[in-house]
Amino acid sequence: MSDRILASTRKGLFVLERGAAGWAIARTCFLGDNVAFCLADPRDGAWFAALDLGHFGCKLQRSGDGGATWQELPVPAFGPDDEVVTGDGKPPQPATLRLLWTLAAGGPDQPGRLWAGTIPGGLFRSDDGGQSWQLMRGLWDRAERKEWFGGGYDSPGIHSICVDPRDPRRVRIGISTGGVWRTDDDGDIWTLTASGMFAAYLPAERRLEPNLQDVHRLVQCRAAPDALWVQHHNGVFRSTDGGASWREVAAVQPSVFGFAVAVHPREPDTAWFVPAVKDERRVPVDGHLVVARTRDGGASFTVLDAGLPETPAFDLVYRHGLAIDATGARLAFASTTGGAWVSEDGGDHWHAVPARLPPVLAMTFA
Amino acid sequence: MARVVLAPALARWLPDAGDGEIVLDVPGDSVGAVLDGVFARHPVLRAYVLDERGAVRHHVALFADGRSLARKTHLDHPLRPGSELHVLQALSGG
Repeated sequence: MSDRILASTRKGLFVLERGAAGWAIARTCFLGDNVAFCLADPRDGAWFAALDLGHFGCKLQRSGDGGATWQELPVPAFGPDDEVVTGDGKPPQPATLRLLWTLAAGGPDQPGRLWAGTIPGGLFRSDDGGQSWQLMRGLWDRAERKEWFGGGYDSPGIHSICVDPRDPRRVRIGISTGGVWRTDDDGDIWTLTASGMFAAYLPAERRLEPNLQDVHRLVQCRAAPDALWVQHHNGVFRSTDGGASWREVAAVQPSVFGFAVAVHPREPDTAWFVPAVKDERRVPVDGHLVVARTRDGGASFTVLDAGLPETPAFDLVYRHGLAIDATGARLAFASTTGGAWVSEDGGDHWHAVPARLPPVLAMTFA
Repeated sequence: MARVVLAPALARWLPDAGDGEIVLDVPGDSVGAVLDGVFARHPVLRAYVLDERGAVRHHVALFADGRSLARKTHLDHPLRPGSELHVLQALSGG
């Protein structure tokens, strides 16, 4: 069970710890800087912080001592001839790193391996702990990549990386907007695996194209890795065959729109969502912040709000803003208006972290 | 030798930096040459000032002897001995 959460926010990294009196801020790193995402490497306990400094670009920092000190690492870089070509009619642009959107650790038998998902749609791999990065050209050079486009951003982005616990050479990624892709060989050859998803907002003749699906978040059950959940732009989809096929989960209450999803590490039928009014508004339904939980694979949902705000709340939870710890005992989520809540009973009861944080971009158990 | 002034928001990313701006005397007869001298001394700064294609970042401003450099990719702008090159971030964002 994890007693520590890394809250990546618009104005710094906040280390939240559970003490005798409950959760509180134990340490603040990079105060004032935009921290897009943090990875806590389960292999050696190192923390990686992806900074989005705006003026000065994207940066990567590593701490081996729980955030007391940090060392800067190189960031992934595109080649001089790489171009971002998108399927939505934007003119081609030189490929430059816009956002280091997510990081993932390789398998236990792959020391030094890290994965980085970026905007504009490049997946990078490091085999030396982040000292150097290689663009996965087997994906980048695919013709389908030029059909991807940005969801909320100008360019497409890779926000979800699931390293298969059975075989870490097998990796699945979620792309907004570019569906779900899988490699079985460390990133050389890629297969598009989003059949069954549909994009309700596209012209009818293109709605079923797997490559155009706006995946907001992809998660994988650790104990049953063929069980995958996706929060998609127009709903929730589930796969029980490793992504070969997907079916819609329409029963999410109070709405099917959202960004975040978490799956229980041992119970593939148990997942949580933080629904919102669909795309043009992106606020909780009726100003009431709730979590939706299914325990039966999406057949039914329970709306959970014990301990969440009773007054009107317009918190939006981003795709990395909902986290579950490795044991499944603890859940945490945090919002763009700086609220953070933790549950120690599967979401039945929530406890507000006593702080008004900057807008939260990601929550990571460490 | 040009005098390079790094704004505090940039200088703070240097190891052991304080809170204020940093002033360096760097040889070179052009903006690019002087910046190369800065980066040789502080390699970490290159990726803060230039993007991966070698262009000055969109929100980084260079002032040579008080005049902003209009064409950000024109690193061959000449500097004379005693020139001052200010490197600062544009006042955008929030």
